[in-house]
Amino acid sequence: MRGAALPLLRGVARQLRPGPAFAVSVAAVTLALLAGALLVWALGKPVGESIVAFADGAWGSPYSVAASINRALVFMLVGLGFVLAQRASITNVGGEGQIAVGGIAATAVSLYGNVSGLPFGLAFILPMLAASMAGACWGGIAGVLKVKAGTNEVISTLLLSFIAIWMVYGSVQSEALLRRPMTTSATLPESLEIPVSTQLPLLGGDASMPLHAGLPLGIVLAIAIALLLSGTVLGLHLRAAGLNPLAARRAGIAVDRLTVGVLCAAGALGGLAGACMLQGEQYSLKAGFSSGFGFDGLVVGLLARGSVAGVIAAALLFGFLRSGGINMEMVAGVPTALVVVIQGLIIVTLAGAALAIQRMEERR
Amino acid sequence: MSPELAAVFVGSSLRLAAPLLLAATGELVSERAGVLNMSVEGMMLTGAFAGATGAYLTGSPTLGLVLGVACVLPVALLQAFLSITLRANQIVTGIGINILVLGVTTLGYRALFGSRSRAEIPGLAKWAPPGLDQVPVLGEHVFTQTWLLYAGALLIAATAWTLRRTALGLAIHAAGSAPAAADKSGLSVPLIRYAAVLFTGVMSALAGCFLSIGDIHTFTEGMTGGTGYLAIAAVIFGNWRVGRTLLACLLFGGAIALQFQLPAMGVNIPNALLIMLPYVLALLAVGGLVGRQVAPAALTQPYLRR
Repeated sequence: MRGAALPLLRGVARQLRPGPAFAVSVAAVTLALLAGALLVWALGKPVGESIVAFADGAWGSPYSVAASINRALVFMLVGLGFVLAQRASITNVGGEGQIAVGGIAATAVSLYGNVSGLPFGLAFILPMLAASMAGACWGGIAGVLKVKAGTNEVISTLLLSFIAIWMVYGSVQSEALLRRPMTTSATLPESLEIPVSTQLPLLGGDASMPLHAGLPLGIVLAIAIALLLSGTVLGLHLRAAGLNPLAARRAGIAVDRLTVGVLCAAGALGGLAGACMLQGEQYSLKAGFSSGFGFDGLVVGLLARGSVAGVIAAALLFGFLRSGGINMEMVAGVPTALVVVIQGLIIVTLAGAALAIQRMEERR
Repeated sequence: MSPELAAVFVGSSLRLAAPLLLAATGELVSERAGVLNMSVEGMMLTGAFAGATGAYLTGSPTLGLVLGVACVLPVALLQAFLSITLRANQIVTGIGINILVLGVTTLGYRALFGSRSRAEIPGLAKWAPPGLDQVPVLGEHVFTQTWLLYAGALLIAATAWTLRRTALGLAIHAAGSAPAAADKSGLSVPLIRYAAVLFTGVMSALAGCFLSIGDIHTFTEGMTGGTGYLAIAAVIFGNWRVGRTLLACLLFGGAIALQFQLPAMGVNIPNALLIMLPYVLALLAVGGLVGRQVAPAALTQPYLRR
């Protein structure tokens, strides 16, 4: 037992140790934040006040800390899916759509699956499972297309995302689907609120600190994926299938099945993220439900450079950035688009520095 | 369907396909040269924003168009620098640029127009080839289009001819399918690729301007909303050939036009289904419904002389 556990732990430790990539990432983030502050100034808004509003929204109260962490959890789940698929050299950019179908499934099962009376937490577990399965199917489509038709997954997962976003829109437009019964002409096109028993339990007990049960689940999944990537045969097979599919196939690895499987797994994580958003925070499905969370999660995955620790760090960064940005818009009148600019700068800088980072790592 | 309604459908399909035709032709050239520009979406958005801003500030849509093209060039240069000189991952850089542009244009729009904005933006003039505008029904509904559509058609024809018939076309093809051989025969692979990416930028800028000052005379935040990705899908659907890519764009344009056409004909289909139709078609298309696609051999691979 010890003999097997030790290399595993060493692998995890290797993933956690900061290297040149970490230093460059910190530099890129710092530069992007400085550029953001400069932009605030250029827009003629008060810089100091904006920063205070930002900090307030990001971590000013237990409520805002919890809101930031809930956001980070969604980014982390999508990012984990990205990193998992990336290990097999598959680029899953479909997080947005996977969240969307997850949200639809979680809503449908919570409202119309007769689960609200079930014991042992099944009332909220079953909708989460349904959401994961829906996400898995959505990711799986891209996997099957890749294996059967050689379709590049970047374009297929993107197109699937657009389709899923409009599926949410369609399903809350029609009473035959998920739209709440129209009582007055003012009834908004959204679903009913899901029953309390299907909502994720709050860890703090009440809504003043709305961390929900998705968080511990997310942490367990992050650890499991870190172990899978660093110290298991499956992790090795994924890498082999990604590096040289032909050689992997000769070595007896079922490359096609791995491809579909890993996209299903990434999709399932996206679907689960959708369930967390719906059952943990929003409680009813609206058009535009996924609202860019999947694309943010994708960015988190891109920045993580394949490591789970990187996913967690980037997810936390973006979770706090987003929450702070929203408050900055409300209080100081600086558009949240500023956060989008900062994100864009971070990605572009790090992508440009990738080659230099690789060289530094080789020299170590 | 009355003849008039049919003519309106054809006319609006052409109009809605126009941005796709322009962007896809641009994207086709750079993919043939070996660079995948996911940033077509961001380049279009830049063009749309800069075009609208220029037209609004100067009062001249033509100057808007010029500004649109000029503002896309730095974006295209950034994409080229990252993916060719720094040899960065083309997908990551493309998506990064798209996010950056979305942020910058939204900020710029709020700063210049304010979030209220129903500002009237002057649009490009309509034009019909002399003679054709006299044809009954068709003249008004099909042939009378923004002049940019006709200019774009000429540009596309010139591009197709260049790719097929000239040494330059052959050089572009070589840079994308056998860069090492192209290099050995004395061609500069980086130069060809830079030029191809800049060309994509110009075409995408025109496509973006078509959206904002050609079609609806306004700018909205993130107004491209995936059109650039449809253009990329059209190139894949078209198997990296001009004719088939253009057909794919026309098909997508027709699918978008159905959103307006079917309700006008009294056909009752949920709006969401119609809006997603072009994306579903694109997915079926890239999913190999039309046979296996053969991408340029060195697509997305940075070139490094050994």
